[in-house]
Amino acid sequence: MDNLYLKLASKGHRAPIATDLVLHERPDPEAVLLDGGRLGEVVIETADRFGTPLAIPLMDLRVEKEALLSAMGIAAASIPGYHFEEPPPPIDDVAPTPRMEATCEGIARVADVPALLPMGMCIGPFSLMTKLVSDPITPVYMAGTGATAEEDEDVDTLEKCLQLGLPLILQYIEAQVDAGARAMIVCEPAANMVYFSPNQLAESFGIFDRYVMDGLRQIRDLLARRGVDFILHDCGELTDGMVRRFGELHPAMLSLGSSRVLWEDAALLPKDVVLYGNLPSKRFFAKDLSTAQVEAAACDLLGRMQAADHPFVLGSECDILSVSGSEAEITSKIEAFLHAKNS
Amino acid sequence: MRTVKAPNDMSEILNTLTESIKAGKRKDAKAATEQALSENIDPQQILAALTMGMDDVGRRFKANEIFVPEVLVAARSMKSSMELLEPVLAESGYTPDHTVIIGTVEGDLHDIGKNLVAMMLKGANFSVVDLGTNVGAQAFVEAAQTHKASLIGLSALLTTTMTAMREAVALFREQGLAAKVMIGGAPITEQFAQDIGADGYATDAASSVDLARSLVA
Repeated sequence: MDNLYLKLASKGHRAPIATDLVLHERPDPEAVLLDGGRLGEVVIETADRFGTPLAIPLMDLRVEKEALLSAMGIAAASIPGYHFEEPPPPIDDVAPTPRMEATCEGIARVADVPALLPMGMCIGPFSLMTKLVSDPITPVYMAGTGATAEEDEDVDTLEKCLQLGLPLILQYIEAQVDAGARAMIVCEPAANMVYFSPNQLAESFGIFDRYVMDGLRQIRDLLARRGVDFILHDCGELTDGMVRRFGELHPAMLSLGSSRVLWEDAALLPKDVVLYGNLPSKRFFAKDLSTAQVEAAACDLLGRMQAADHPFVLGSECDILSVSGSEAEITSKIEAFLHAKNS
Repeated sequence: MRTVKAPNDMSEILNTLTESIKAGKRKDAKAATEQALSENIDPQQILAALTMGMDDVGRRFKANEIFVPEVLVAARSMKSSMELLEPVLAESGYTPDHTVIIGTVEGDLHDIGKNLVAMMLKGANFSVVDLGTNVGAQAFVEAAQTHKASLIGLSALLTTTMTAMREAVALFREQGLAAKVMIGGAPITEQFAQDIGADGYATDAASSVDLARSLVA
């Protein structure tokens, strides 16, 4: 068995996405983000602390938007809230930002540690698009009813933003692979039931295929050409049809949110797509979710996945963000699931 | 000379308007509103027809019969109608009974949930002042005072930003605001709402309307 993820699953491996927690233990986290060497050390320390060979980088899905809009001359202070009100012009070249360069340097640092799998991270094309327009939901729906870019300016803007984002994402993936990434976590959390109406998808998955799957297929193909493992993350609320389509991409690992019933999802997926995650880590900060409850949920999930006979790595549904004042609460829940007994 | 529409014709126009909102047919909603106004139907009756449409949208959303995109398309239809209706309502001296100040808290740029709540509240005939995203606590205070708000709605998507809600609610209490405070967003729990002293918490946009109505009752 040379598939690392299957191997980890067969050993009952568990791993959180917890780089942000460790990053915020540093006195100057913002400075670390721009210092590849120190960022790499944070990733290494995270993997070491939680006992995993998976060197999961920081899940910061703002990086690509920053690069794109910087290249278009948008002032840095305006970038977070900036949205295109009309179709954006094409752009020839997007220079890597200091954040991107530091991420790549961090991956190179991780690649020096033989026991770790250096992993890259990027946003999916659909999710990037949703950050570029003020209301992405209505035009997605209208396009699903048949409205074309020629007929509807909002649909045109959305499609131009998709076209704008994909080359940048592919370029960023190449840069991370060049730096040493051997797996790429592609985060597409906006491909979910908020943006795509299940009623519309019940009639046709055409719009989902066009707006989500086409971009992901291009990413998958690039990763395959580069010999890099494709890991797909989507913690949004999904329909069964969405999960099935993600399975058709054949990612090495599929990371899903706590709204899914993983042991039922197992039936929707090829047997060698390792399921990952699912514990409700977005609520780990909350005292009304007790450590005992997390431990019980972990035991239950492990047991049910074993019964479903599907490869599974227990983990967090998403990046576990550091919440000031709640760090100990959060850490206790990570420890609870890392050490929960397999029932 | 002003001619008053016969009740049957009137109810047919208003029914068309309600159905257009429910189906999210913006052009039809706009046309029905134009027709209703041109037929001199009482603007408050037109508003009631719109509200009835959005109430049905909220009910079906809560029952998982429809989803966020359908709600947004319905709200967009409502907005088109309101653009025609609002000047007439204002001319007649009508104002909604309650004003809500709404925004995403400081440090958080997410707005889908907040926008949905704003649209649903408008559909339920609240006057909504949307302060946008990344809104500091003091801005909520000033807006609530300026608009004599009955309610303040705080939204946050991230665990890292929801702590700003605690500071905001503390400031509202310190300033002695009369407005009730409702909060919502993915990481928010009932327990958190109680901990920070908010008056209410809604799990989704449709529930926020019920909550808002109960808080101002």
